[in-house]
Amino acid sequence: MTPWIEKQRYIIDFTISSLLRRKVKNIGLLALYTLIVFILASTMFFTYSIKKEAKLILQGSPEIVVQKIVAGRHDLFPVDYIEPIKAIRGVADVESRLWGYYYDSLVQANYTVLVPSRPVDKSQSNARTTVVVDPNDPHAADVDKPLYDYDGAAPEAGTIVIGNGVARMREIGVGDFMPFMAFDGQIMNLKVIGTLSAESELVSSDLILVNGADFRKLFGIAEQFVTDVIVTVKNPSEVGMVAGKIKKKLQSARPIIREEILRTYDSIFNWRGGMMIVVFSAAVLAFVIFAWDKASGLSAGERREIGILKAVGWETGDVIQMKFWEGAMVSLSAYFSGVILAYIHVFFTGSAVFEPALKGWSALYPHFSLTPYVNAEQLTTLFFLTVVPYTVATIVPTWRAATIDPDTAMRHTGE
Amino acid sequence: MIELLNVRKVFNAGSPSEFSAINGVDLRIAENRVTVLKGPSGSGKTTLLSIVGCMSRPSAGRVKLRDREITSLPERFLTDIRRKTFGFIFQQPNLIKGISVLENVMLPAYPLGEKRTTLKVKALHGLNELNLSGKAASKVEWLSGGEAQRVSIVRALINDPQIIIADEPTAHLDTKLSYRFMEIVEQFKAQGKTVIITSHDPLVYDSKTVDDVVNLRDGKLESEPA
Repeated sequence: MTPWIEKQRYIIDFTISSLLRRKVKNIGLLALYTLIVFILASTMFFTYSIKKEAKLILQGSPEIVVQKIVAGRHDLFPVDYIEPIKAIRGVADVESRLWGYYYDSLVQANYTVLVPSRPVDKSQSNARTTVVVDPNDPHAADVDKPLYDYDGAAPEAGTIVIGNGVARMREIGVGDFMPFMAFDGQIMNLKVIGTLSAESELVSSDLILVNGADFRKLFGIAEQFVTDVIVTVKNPSEVGMVAGKIKKKLQSARPIIREEILRTYDSIFNWRGGMMIVVFSAAVLAFVIFAWDKASGLSAGERREIGILKAVGWETGDVIQMKFWEGAMVSLSAYFSGVILAYIHVFFTGSAVFEPALKGWSALYPHFSLTPYVNAEQLTTLFFLTVVPYTVATIVPTWRAATIDPDTAMRHTGE
Repeated sequence: MIELLNVRKVFNAGSPSEFSAINGVDLRIAENRVTVLKGPSGSGKTTLLSIVGCMSRPSAGRVKLRDREITSLPERFLTDIRRKTFGFIFQQPNLIKGISVLENVMLPAYPLGEKRTTLKVKALHGLNELNLSGKAASKVEWLSGGEAQRVSIVRALINDPQIIIADEPTAHLDTKLSYRFMEIVEQFKAQGKTVIITSHDPLVYDSKTVDDVVNLRDGKLESEPA
């Protein structure tokens, strides 16, 4: 072994024994440091994965959704509008949708009530199911995952299919009846004939599928109206153009393209992730102050040690190297333990700690486990936010202490 | 072998607290002899010793080691000379707490990257020489004052230096241990090493082991070396 390698081994050995000598202090620091990395990494993993998940799901969503707007307010969509949209060149299919939100005062939760559109195989166009699969994306195949264990046909009159969140909230299952208060105050008792699969919970937790006639009765919607329509376009590159034509033809129509929905999801979860960081920023700041104090100020004992090492023949570079290893060991251990803990937290325990802040709306929280999605960019960002500043902060004061004359060790008690 | 030419050392130069510790000292320290720098507190003994041992630089004047001018050498070269030529014994043992006696002894050799087994054998041999072999694995805080002093002597010898420098080595030792220290100095001399000691302890400078005594007062030599 070359003397250089042997020297590095000696320095690392000495660094480890240095760390062990101040066990309590270093373990405390490590625990705190790990906690901060854990918080940052959890937030980052969660936000990234949920955005990715939402993106995958939305890839299968309609290219254009058209709503009716009355003076800026969302209004029911007249069925008469469908034919003019169909007539636009480039439109493959127009499908009406019936859906709405229902507030359940008993459990204080909002449900999404939806009349399923026709099954996919009965659709006039198959463009809707065409998803561009990126061969490098390991999650691409997930797009084909069915959203619910269900054939897509609307339930028969008087029956419903409910999401897992609803089932949990109301403590009901297949065969039970669920009462609804219709728009006119009448009570409608609908029978549960199925529940949606747990895999789709992120999007289907609060979902209730009903028959079209029941839906109209519940919300008081006349036959000549629907909630909105979805438009399928033959050529995906013409989506923007078709949306523009719809707007031009029907002044009160508001076409929403898929990219806009994706953007909205992105900003919602960015905002939520940002909120988490803001909430924990006090903790992060406290740690930064603590770490800076620990890292930048050398104790009298440490100064004395540096003096002794220099006096017995260590170079300034050797001392700095030792302190560098010390900082690197503490911060790397904290980094890896924090990242691993965050990974377990987010992908195995379903973000137990942050659940209320990051998932769901209102009182209804979906139960789901995210597909692990971690990329180099996230890890690098975390690394530069945590390891690098700490390691640098340990070196600067050491350099200052190590460049003074070694005779301070002699001066310590001498004349 | 060590020659000091008109050496001065000024602390806090240019500030109101400026203090001149060494004022134009010319001195030759011969090889394979025991030299004592003697003088009262504040006479500049330790300052002179640290200049001789390449631990600090003079403000003016020149220092020659084996006819080689070392005053103007960069830090790295000075460290190298210090490591290979000098062994330091401080007034306090200055051992690093929390690690074993053996590790403390091996510490000055770490930057040289010597093979671990060879270094360990050397360190254990050194400890054995000073009746400390049983203490190799002990932590330094468990040692008595005399044992700690001897450990610091073994540490000073680990790189087999030609010159041993000791700053007030008997200041914290009782009479018996001080005599024991002078016996060790005698052994160094027998091995052909040069020893430079600062002390105002008569037990040291009156010892028959000592060849030369340099008297210092107010940063100047009082008379020619004895």
